Amino acid sequence: MPAIKKIVVKNFKSFCDLNLEFDPGKNVLIGDNETGKSSVLLALDLALSASRSRVENIGYEALLNQGAVQKFLAGPATLDLLPEVIVDVFLEEGDEQGFHGTQNALGTQTDGLRMSIVPLIEEFGQTIVDLLKANRNSFPFEYYSVQFSTFAGAPHVTYRRPVKHLMIDSSRVDSEHAAREYTRAVFGFHTEVGDRYRLENRYRQGKEAFGRESLKDLNDTLGDYQFALRTSSRSNLETDLVITKGGIPIENRGKGEQCFIKTSFALQKHEEKGSLHALLLEEPENHLSHTNMKRLVERLADTTGTQLFIATHSSHICARLDLRHALLLGSGHAGRLKDLSEPTASFFMKAPDNNVLELALSRRVILVEGDAEFILMEHFYTQQAGHLPQANDVHIISIGGTSFKRYLELGRFLNIRIAAIRDNDGDYQQNCVTNYEGYLYESAKIFADPDPKRSTFEIGLYSDNQKTCDDLFAAGRKKLTVQEYMLKNKADTAFELLTKKSAELTAPKYIQEAIEWIRA
Amino acid sequence: MDKSVIFSVAGSGKTSLIIERLSRDQRALIITYTDNNHRHLRNRIIQRFGMIPSNITLMTYFSFLHGFCYRPLMQLQLGTRGLNFRRPPDRHYPLDNLNRYRDGSGRLYHCRLAKLLQVVKAIPGVRARLERFYDCLYVDEVQDFAGHDFNLLLEVSQAKIGMTFVGDFHQHTFDTSRDGAVNKNLHDDVLRYEKRFRDAGITVDKATLGRSWRCAKTVCDFISAKLQIAMSAHEIGCSRIITVDDQDQANLLHADPAIVKLFLSEHYKYGCHSENWGASKGMDHFDDVCVVMGPGIWKGYVADRLHQANPQTRNKLYVACTRARGNLYFVPEKLLRAFKQGT
Repeated sequence: MPAIKKIVVKNFKSFCDLNLEFDPGKNVLIGDNETGKSSVLLALDLALSASRSRVENIGYEALLNQGAVQKFLAGPATLDLLPEVIVDVFLEEGDEQGFHGTQNALGTQTDGLRMSIVPLIEEFGQTIVDLLKANRNSFPFEYYSVQFSTFAGAPHVTYRRPVKHLMIDSSRVDSEHAAREYTRAVFGFHTEVGDRYRLENRYRQGKEAFGRESLKDLNDTLGDYQFALRTSSRSNLETDLVITKGGIPIENRGKGEQCFIKTSFALQKHEEKGSLHALLLEEPENHLSHTNMKRLVERLADTTGTQLFIATHSSHICARLDLRHALLLGSGHAGRLKDLSEPTASFFMKAPDNNVLELALSRRVILVEGDAEFILMEHFYTQQAGHLPQANDVHIISIGGTSFKRYLELGRFLNIRIAAIRDNDGDYQQNCVTNYEGYLYESAKIFADPDPKRSTFEIGLYSDNQKTCDDLFAAGRKKLTVQEYMLKNKADTAFELLTKKSAELTAPKYIQEAIEWIRA
Repeated sequence: MDKSVIFSVAGSGKTSLIIERLSRDQRALIITYTDNNHRHLRNRIIQRFGMIPSNITLMTYFSFLHGFCYRPLMQLQLGTRGLNFRRPPDRHYPLDNLNRYRDGSGRLYHCRLAKLLQVVKAIPGVRARLERFYDCLYVDEVQDFAGHDFNLLLEVSQAKIGMTFVGDFHQHTFDTSRDGAVNKNLHDDVLRYEKRFRDAGITVDKATLGRSWRCAKTVCDFISAKLQIAMSAHEIGCSRIITVDDQDQANLLHADPAIVKLFLSEHYKYGCHSENWGASKGMDHFDDVCVVMGPGIWKGYVADRLHQANPQTRNKLYVACTRARGNLYFVPEKLLRAFKQGT
């Protein structure tokens, strides 16, 4: 299987410069909106397809990085500075010399494919110069052209594609064009070229026979002008084929079901034949119920023999497919989770769904142990900073326990600033210092109360806000002290404090320090 | 890793030798010099295997030079865009100036590209590519390598894979990619030519393809004696050498569509089934052949001095004569002059 090993992108969509390595099995692209998950899939799809018409349909204007365009227009705007789009897809090396060479952005001698969108300077240099002179603000997109080549510098043509791939974009699932493209692609790799031509030929003959026989009586009455069936590129076997399930064409099924069927149908045959090399899935969670999504994810998790590229917002998908397959795209950071340790990766596969993604997509995170801290933390932050934590790009995550080490490993890997707030549980030195030796890094710090008597958040909170708490909870207490009551009803009391007494609350000192530190 | 150059005589089965040595389990690269020969070899491969097997790659020399050697390694780095088949202008640039090798629009002069590969030190990379993808390199029409291309061939032959070069020294008719004085005298002396191969560690084999299948003994003996180019025949045929010196017979020959008339040049002006001597190289479908001789050559023919003709003319004449499977006619051009148009 010719696996896709790496992509190097320049001036494509939102990317000025991107260099992403892929896993030969599964690759989950996660990232916030507008971070370019779909762009990575599109870049792969376009470069592998080598379809000029697809690129032209999307338009050079939409593909060329806006920043590069603006930078060009703002500068001296000479021909040599015109930006180019480069998409280099690095492949596993094979035996075909025509794909092997150094004609890529890195100059590495290996196999691969290149899509470049370049200005036609030799052909239209003078015209472009005139145009730029006449209107300083208009960029000469019209004089760009897309070229597909291999790393050997040879032309890359559609009928000699080394990687058979399919892109399923659930956001386009209802477009007729997308449906037809999908059907054509699936038909294409379920059949050998020879069989395909034979079937197409027989279909055409069938149509002709219908014209000859069934339309005969009608035509006999008509004289010179006759009815016949269309046999053209717009009406042939490939355009008329549909995929059905239980006798119903899948395009008549719900969007969610369509996405599911398409994915599993695309994968199904290929495990036997090994003929689909790469499947690109764009946000498969769209339109899917939770159960269906879980089914789909199980299907994806079982896939072997087809390299998967999945762009998703769903941390469920991400985590279930083994976090180590995740590729993270973000404005501030990008990277692979592949290098996480085995126990940490397994941990996150079982961790609550949303935490993984939230942590991975944040730049600054306050980790807290439990619900009570979580409920009050935003308030403390706002009180101290004068604005909400989001304004500083700070996220608060409750990890429901003390598995800080896992999060710290992930944080270190993604270079996320983490303030981990925990209870000292009666031994500050042991639980909050010695315990984390080797896990902390420059931008990660543990915050806890050094006083062994203030062993939990509630005890610290009570002693710093005794009057407020007594006012609120003392009434009605018969057996328990206020402190005991708070310890028994952590989340409820925290919520009551937040709703009724928030203005009077003072955060324990270590929490104030944490807030101060995370904002720095 | 056998490395050998097999010198052949015309019609001795060069192509067959290559085709027979191919197999489905040896990764072979075959380089031909002319497009004609590329087509011919391609058909022969298809005839043998029913298709072009994926382990066999056939290229013309310039696709090899540009598409295999240069482009994968240097195109982006040097910012070029294809080949220019015109002669470079006389303007002088030093050897390490890129403008010596490419024209104003970035196209590479075909006759200097081999030199450029050497100058930019790409040869080790080319050898590595050959070793990476092929087990054996076959070069057909090796006699047509001249100028820098010949030097490149010898350098490339040092790759650690099998090398089989086939060619006929005397079928070298013109240098398509001469550059200045480089290897200008390469084809003047066959012994020195052979030595170049031996010095590069390539065995010179003159026995395997020393006898012609196409030409009969009479024709071979004639060529050995009159042109002093040694060749022998596999079979003792009964074809004849016929000298034509009367107008009626010349008229009959001119009118006979079964006999091809071969001219030194401008064959199309004579309004008959014809071809030029040089261009008939590689053609294998003639039976009787009529060689038309201009005044100078005719004089040499009559006086038994053909071997003294200049090497290029002699080689072309050799090509023309060796097209004959059957009878070989010689006719002076003056007897056909009446048919010539557009003079």
